[in-house]
Amino acid sequence: MRKILIYELKRLLWNRFFLGILLVLLFAGWQVLSGVTLLGVAHTAPFSPWSFGDYLRRMLPLLWIGALFFLTRFTSGGAQRVAVLTDATPVPPRRYAGVRSAAALLATALLCLACLAEALGFYALYFGGEVLGGLWAPALFVLLPVLVFALGTAWRLGQKRPWLVFAWMALPLLLSALPLPAELGLWNGTLFSEYPLRLGTLDPAFSLPGQAVAMQGAFLGAGLAALALPFWVARR
Amino acid sequence: MEIDIQGVNMVYPNGRQALKGLDLPLRSPSLVGLLGPNGAGKSTLMKLLVDALRPTSGKILVDGRPLAGNERSLKSRLGYLPQDFGLFDELTAAQFLDYMAALKGLRNAKEAVQRALREVRLEEKARARIRTLSGGQRQRVGIAQALLGDPPLLIFDEPTVGLDPEERIHFRTLFSRAGQERLVLLSTHIIEDVQSVCDQLVVLAGGQIRFAGEPAALLRAAQGHVCSFWERQAAGERSLHVTARVHTAEGVRCRAVAQALPAFARPEEPTLEDAYLYLLSQEERP
Repeated sequence: MRKILIYELKRLLWNRFFLGILLVLLFAGWQVLSGVTLLGVAHTAPFSPWSFGDYLRRMLPLLWIGALFFLTRFTSGGAQRVAVLTDATPVPPRRYAGVRSAAALLATALLCLACLAEALGFYALYFGGEVLGGLWAPALFVLLPVLVFALGTAWRLGQKRPWLVFAWMALPLLLSALPLPAELGLWNGTLFSEYPLRLGTLDPAFSLPGQAVAMQGAFLGAGLAALALPFWVARR
Repeated sequence: MEIDIQGVNMVYPNGRQALKGLDLPLRSPSLVGLLGPNGAGKSTLMKLLVDALRPTSGKILVDGRPLAGNERSLKSRLGYLPQDFGLFDELTAAQFLDYMAALKGLRNAKEAVQRALREVRLEEKARARIRTLSGGQRQRVGIAQALLGDPPLLIFDEPTVGLDPEERIHFRTLFSRAGQERLVLLSTHIIEDVQSVCDQLVVLAGGQIRFAGEPAALLRAAQGHVCSFWERQAAGERSLHVTARVHTAEGVRCRAVAQALPAFARPEEPTLEDAYLYLLSQEERP
């Protein structure tokens, strides 16, 4: 299956779309870093986990769209026409689906790495390398649950109707415009811009409200469940 | 390889009954031509044989074992070309075949890919991206993926669609050669494709088998039922089922099949197409 994984990654990464989304991501990232993050959020330092988390949540809609575009390579009408050939091969369907999920996750991880690398480069350029510790926590908190959720749910939606994946791309933009409860503050930015102010100290240590952690856990769980659903169904 | 289709019915969720009580034994080596008008149930039958669909009732046995529950065993010995399929446009022809070889679990994938490309005469396009290939070349990539690894069961649904006449002849020969050692099921509406190469014919119409046997038997059944005549002679004649009209200097010459030939008609030796059309015309009779 290693060969299939390599071919799937080639299909996802070796094309104009990937280059395009990468350039858009880097351009938008630089705009956010130099226009918003540089000033710091909630009176914290630009290189604080709060400001870094805010940068990542602002990048989330683009990363979400990129991840879902990868999925369209597996769920589009054209891909489903190839499936009539691949379904007639003896490869176990869940292993094949697993390899393709892995390819989509790896490709999405590459986009995330590009975002992270740009931010780290920005910090190193403006503030030196010594400020980079402690940024992994907001990165894991913001990116992992949401993007696993994006891939898992969009895959299931795409299997029902390919166009639903495109509709699902609008979800983060929609959520960012809505007044949401505190648990969903990640989506409209209040988690990083307002929560630190409520902690009552200047430049507080990075911590997260339990409800927001639980919500991210729920997103991660739902995403993993959606990814695992075909394996479970096949086993039954 | 032996496939036994026993009492298979297929009703789609929309209520359309595509197959009705189908019984058909298939034995290798053989090249079986599957003929029938549009909507006869040919593609449904093929989908059932490759486990893309499950029959509503009845069963399919492969070498004595039910297909349901043993799909992997069948698929490991199957080469399948559906009527409508897609390819990964961003890969080259050789890469796509290598991908399919990996899914089929072929050990010597490189050699299998080169051989398949040679058989479909696409060696010079091996490194061309699939999106740059013509319709006929894409069809040949589809045939090549079915041939990968020399599977003992080959199922082709309208394989020669989009191919030029020279290529069609080449593939007829290729299928004929494959049918000498393996079980090849060839569904088509082009009688020419099966005429010269198939040793068995199955005619489906309305979801039922109307004929199963050797082509010679189908020809014999049409003997004495094929004729030609001038169109002007047949004014008002309703018993004739015209199968061809040719404009000549003396008028329009017609070829027809009929249960009883009229006196003015000249009896003709039936071709397979005549025999097939005669069979179908018999079904249409009230």
